[in-house]
Amino acid sequence: MTLVAGLRAAAYGVPFQPVGGVHGSDLAALNGWQKIRDPYGSGKEIYVIPAISPEVAVIHANEVDEEGNARVLGSPYWDHPLTRAAKRVLVTAERLAPAGTLAAQPELTLVPGFMVEAVAVVPRGAWPGSMHPLYEVDYPAVESYLRDEPGALEAHLAAAPERNRYG
Amino acid sequence: MSDWTPFSHIVVNLARQIRPGEIAFSGVNSTLAMLACLLAKRAYDFHFTYLNVAGGVEPVPAKIPHSSSDPALIAGSPAIFANEDFYDLCARGRLDLVFLGCAQVDGEGRTNVSVIGEWKSPKVRLPGGGGAAVMMPTAKRVVTWRTEHTTRTLVEKLDFVTAAGNLQTVVTPIAVFQKREGRLALEYRNPRAALDEVIRRTGFRFDASGAAPTAPITARERAALEALDPRGEFAAAVRA
Repeated sequence: MTLVAGLRAAAYGVPFQPVGGVHGSDLAALNGWQKIRDPYGSGKEIYVIPAISPEVAVIHANEVDEEGNARVLGSPYWDHPLTRAAKRVLVTAERLAPAGTLAAQPELTLVPGFMVEAVAVVPRGAWPGSMHPLYEVDYPAVESYLRDEPGALEAHLAAAPERNRYG
Repeated sequence: MSDWTPFSHIVVNLARQIRPGEIAFSGVNSTLAMLACLLAKRAYDFHFTYLNVAGGVEPVPAKIPHSSSDPALIAGSPAIFANEDFYDLCARGRLDLVFLGCAQVDGEGRTNVSVIGEWKSPKVRLPGGGGAAVMMPTAKRVVTWRTEHTTRTLVEKLDFVTAAGNLQTVVTPIAVFQKREGRLALEYRNPRAALDEVIRRTGFRFDASGAAPTAPITARERAALEALDPRGEFAAAVRA
């Protein structure tokens, strides 16, 4: 949540973002987070998190059109603050939407194309994670990736369903 | 004689913390808390609102996922109440009950999810709080749990304080602690564990006056648990 506060600061174009909580946590001293007293007189002390502006945000969408408009179904998790805070936005997507079709339901477009620098159509691109509502988490693939043994990473990369099954 | 297992003692006693009318939330890497919320929906007659980190509001999952952040937890949900929404809800004081995991908890109910050992040369680097530092002081009540009840998990002194604030309850395979006057006190113990055993396996000092054996699992709680875990896969993942 402090991470999101930092992203929000960047998205809002201000140097820091007040955030609830954090009191009593060692994370404040570790990260050098400052407290300020409410300038409007409530007497409350509020932590302020410095702006975080990623160089690049990469998100995976359900559909993208040639203009870069990206539609995300299900929960957006952190895609909204992330894409607003980043200096550049790249989108991968399950499929290419025919031109003009996203306008039928513009509220499903999470990022408008003018904010997007480049797109790639990558079916199964969230693997081994899930992509609602198309496919679920591939738990066996996650478990084999986590194995601490030689070749685990290479085997994971070689499985690459986004390339091998659709390439 | 009680037939509590480590698994059932944790899940059912987590579920028993939910009160009528509350808004309750379960987060990432919190399978047992997710099961507790789903159990309470089946076993108790009162209404409460269940939110989860996948963005679900009152979900009716067709199957129970292994991960508590699986999008299966938005099935049947009439709204997507995604991450920014539920964190903000908590920060403005509207989340009644938040289940937050931990690696270590101390006698004052503070938690460590950051590091074992020194920050700069850790023995184990943990996943981090995932919002715990914001949620624990701002939620009305926080409940945590540990599958391992030992002096290295329930400690006198934390290696690092990730979060502090409104932690009220700690549930383990053998005990339920509630905060009283700023310290965790023993409320219930699994009848299979003597008080001496709870004391020996707990790193912090605690008040045990008034502690009672955990009330037996009810028929409805047992039926709900069996419906959620028909093949015993979740139960098998909890070692005493």
